[in-house]
Amino acid sequence: MEKRAAFSDLRLAGALIAPQLLLVFVFFYWPAAQAVYWAFTTQPPFGGSNEWVGFQNFEQIFTDRVYWNSVGISFLFAGLSTALSVGMALLFALFVDRRLTGYRVHRFIYFWPYAVAAPAVGLAFRFIFAPEAGFVSAVNQWVPGLWNPALDGKDALALIVLANSWKMMAYNFIFFLAALQSIPRPLIEAAAMDGAGVLRRARDIQFPLLAPTFFFLLVINVTESFVDSFGIVDITTGGGPARATDLMVYKIYSDGFKGLDYSMAAAQSIVLMGVVIVLTFIQFRYVERRVHYS
Amino acid sequence: MKNAIIAAVAASALLGSSGAEAQQRTKFEYWYGLTGQLGEILEQHCKRFNNSQQKFEAVCIGQGGYDKAEQNTIAAYRSKQQPTVIQIYDAGTVNFMLSGAIYPANQFAKDFSIDIDWTNYFPGIANYYATSKGEMWSFPYNSSTALLYWNKDAWAKIGKTKAPETIEEWFDDLRKMKTAGVECGFGFDYDTWMPLEQFSAIHNLPIATKANGYGGLDAELVFNKTKFADYMKDWKKLLDEGVARIQTAQVGKTILQSFTDGTCASVLSSVANHGVVGSTAKPGLNWGVAMLPVYKDFKRHNSLVGGASLWIMQGKSPQEYEGAAALMKFLSTPEEALWYSTANGYIPVTKTGFDYMNKNGFYQDPKHAGRELAITSLTFTPPTENSRGIRLGNFTQIRAEIRSELEAAFTGKKDMQVALDEAVARSNQILRRFEQTFKGKTLP
Amino acid sequence: MIERTPILDAVTHALMLLGLVLAALPIVVVFVASTHDLATVNRVPMPLWPGDHMAENYARVWDKSRFGEKMLNSLIVATGVTVGKITIAALSAFSIVYFRYRLRMVFFWLIFITLMLPLEVRIVPTYAVAADALQPFRVIAGGFGLELGIPQINLLNSYAGLILPLVATATGTFLYRQFFLTVPDELAEAAKMDGAGPMRFFIDVLIPLSRANMAALATIMFVYAWNQYLWPLLITTDQKMATATMQLQKLVPGPLFGQPPLWNEAMAATLMVMAPPLLVVVFMQGWFVKGLVASDK
Repeated sequence: MEKRAAFSDLRLAGALIAPQLLLVFVFFYWPAAQAVYWAFTTQPPFGGSNEWVGFQNFEQIFTDRVYWNSVGISFLFAGLSTALSVGMALLFALFVDRRLTGYRVHRFIYFWPYAVAAPAVGLAFRFIFAPEAGFVSAVNQWVPGLWNPALDGKDALALIVLANSWKMMAYNFIFFLAALQSIPRPLIEAAAMDGAGVLRRARDIQFPLLAPTFFFLLVINVTESFVDSFGIVDITTGGGPARATDLMVYKIYSDGFKGLDYSMAAAQSIVLMGVVIVLTFIQFRYVERRVHYS
Repeated sequence: MKNAIIAAVAASALLGSSGAEAQQRTKFEYWYGLTGQLGEILEQHCKRFNNSQQKFEAVCIGQGGYDKAEQNTIAAYRSKQQPTVIQIYDAGTVNFMLSGAIYPANQFAKDFSIDIDWTNYFPGIANYYATSKGEMWSFPYNSSTALLYWNKDAWAKIGKTKAPETIEEWFDDLRKMKTAGVECGFGFDYDTWMPLEQFSAIHNLPIATKANGYGGLDAELVFNKTKFADYMKDWKKLLDEGVARIQTAQVGKTILQSFTDGTCASVLSSVANHGVVGSTAKPGLNWGVAMLPVYKDFKRHNSLVGGASLWIMQGKSPQEYEGAAALMKFLSTPEEALWYSTANGYIPVTKTGFDYMNKNGFYQDPKHAGRELAITSLTFTPPTENSRGIRLGNFTQIRAEIRSELEAAFTGKKDMQVALDEAVARSNQILRRFEQTFKGKTLP
Repeated sequence: MIERTPILDAVTHALMLLGLVLAALPIVVVFVASTHDLATVNRVPMPLWPGDHMAENYARVWDKSRFGEKMLNSLIVATGVTVGKITIAALSAFSIVYFRYRLRMVFFWLIFITLMLPLEVRIVPTYAVAADALQPFRVIAGGFGLELGIPQINLLNSYAGLILPLVATATGTFLYRQFFLTVPDELAEAAKMDGAGPMRFFIDVLIPLSRANMAALATIMFVYAWNQYLWPLLITTDQKMATATMQLQKLVPGPLFGQPPLWNEAMAATLMVMAPPLLVVVFMQGWFVKGLVASDK
């Protein structure tokens, strides 16, 4: 990871990174610091008086059964969504890379979903998967009650996993495809001439060379599923039924924004941020180690 | 001749300058929460005000929902960017009363010489937005109450032409309808307004101690021990028998949609949707509204007002306040009450408004048939301690908690009584937290 | 594809077709819904073929929501964010990868952590800062007992307020960092040996190499900025500054208030809002894929 060649003009280095650091300070760290302060206080919605309460907010969330439910659902969602979107994206990228007829069309259409705004994605999926109104309702006519995300928590979770994966799959797909296409063709041809079949080539050549991209996408997907999934939940399930899709980030919004309890929301945000930082750290430490940059 | 020319030039100069002055309207911001069709109607109402005079311009900005309107106002206030007028829903009343950020309506009317007869407001409405001393702190604007929407054809199938008056009669009808082949007798969702809040009011049952919170911030919820618990258990029975159905946006159709396309024979909803139902009902749908049914052994009381009211925020300039005062004056005229209630289902909030509309034949028009029932329901009896309104802190959160527990019970994950007990426990926690946040403050 | 594998090909084709359906179906549904009138679109189930109200719906929504103005705002914001992001991220990543100083990993992490606390969650204090952008400095100076008379810069209802907080995040820096790490050291060494300074290297060597990378980032950023709705909703109260995606949110009231949305209009609006990012994706497609492909070295 270390570059052998490096420049030594440190003042320049500072100047180059200053704009971003400045922006990040004003729009991220300053508000975040305030949020941290709030996590240790209680305050009325309109502000004005912050009363220090120490760890009371944290105590309240850690002893709340509903909060732990949220944590569990979030991990499950992250795992399922990432596995599905990364796995499917890899699969489709491998297919498209084979350059069969019509691959350009496929390449374009697979990327489409990423351009769609979260409200639109949620809406479309709500339409399609509604048990009484959507197209999937046909399933219910054969086996009544088979699919009902409004009543069955597992179905609701499946719905948001599908919606989120649909969008992220597009994103992952394009990165995988690009990485695959950057593998020099001579390498593949040489292996083919040595007698390695399609699957063998995939395993021995393509996968290892895809490792950096895989790592990048893993981090992005896991983070995104913890942190960016609010829009989809808001539009499709609203956290239900009976909290089956009450992701941590959604809970923060509903407690803080709807419940107007900024301190509680701040405390939960700190915890969420902690979780994601730890997960990312783990990924950097243990996964990136095995990744070789060419 | 010369004098005439000078006079003419002077006159045109004067006219020109006053014309330019007229262009300089004083602007003030008015944030509202309604969306969809109801939001569009509010925008039109705003334009009516702007077109009716030259001095002020209300800049009306939709916030994308009642909850967003509340949140955005708070965020704006914290950054000193608040609007002059805001539309806040019933559940936000306590937060705003305790905020110290608003200009109480009665004081505002006095300071800006708005001639308002506070007794002209229907007591059921006035009490909701008034302090414990009876002073109104906000201006009621779009008020509604809950009604039973019923499908006359479905009832005809069991040989009835009148809507049920008691709950027992209603449930009985629903069961008879099922045998007569009606797919869904009653569609409901987890919204607490109808089953909990309105139900408790008309049955004169408390939702919380201390007169539903009017008496102090240390109120506690008690609805898991009142007839409401039985009511919910009865709904669950209907659900299990296949007589009632859950209809939410997640399921694919809201209760209104299930009613307007003829699937469900009855729903409980706000009178505000009367116009919406009229315009989206499938052709040939024979429907009507009735007052909410009551359990046989209970004496009917007045129902609660729903909807929103307009608050004036602190910290704005006198000119903006003049504009807001003009807006309030405009909205409180009987003509505007007529216009607004014609455009949508909201009811007139003043007695004179109601009389004016009656005189103009509003309620005789078949299109509006049944809307007067809302007024009847709202004024059935003078408000009691339990039917005056709800003054509980963070009520939005409490509603969400109850909704969640009801959902768990109705989807079979929990026993109903257990769900209600937990809803009360969690909601009480919310109340205690609210109390702690406002330590030392008392409700006005 | 080197050898002939007919069975694998057939399977591949079949699965790809399935993928196509999965990817395209939701958008098709949106389109069909936007071509019906209100009563039809509310029917259950909605008919699968397009209706004949398309022109009428789109015209009505365009006028009613004053979409022209809003699309322009979205365009300005999205372009601003894209340009800002590409520039700033490149500069920062360059600093982190190609200069050796003790704080560089600290800075990288400082920037990277911004990915983990989404805007939704810190929205109220961020709003307060946007209303008074130099507030942090004033408070800090105040903490040291300095009254510097720092002015209040109000970014609300302005393009700057819409653009700057979105430029502050880390995706671009991360992407550039990963890319720069794959650039062979020989290039930098050669530049140094030629006596070229860091900026020369940056402009003459790195930027051209990153061209396709930038295309990728540009597309992602444009789409991301265009699709923002929560932040613009909060920061703009003046309708003239509203963005297109904000309008979408207005047309579909939340599920909790029981008011049926005007589905056909909402879907028409959805499609209109979806169109520009889609066009950008189409247009940039070629560069985009090339861009993520590390160029032949």
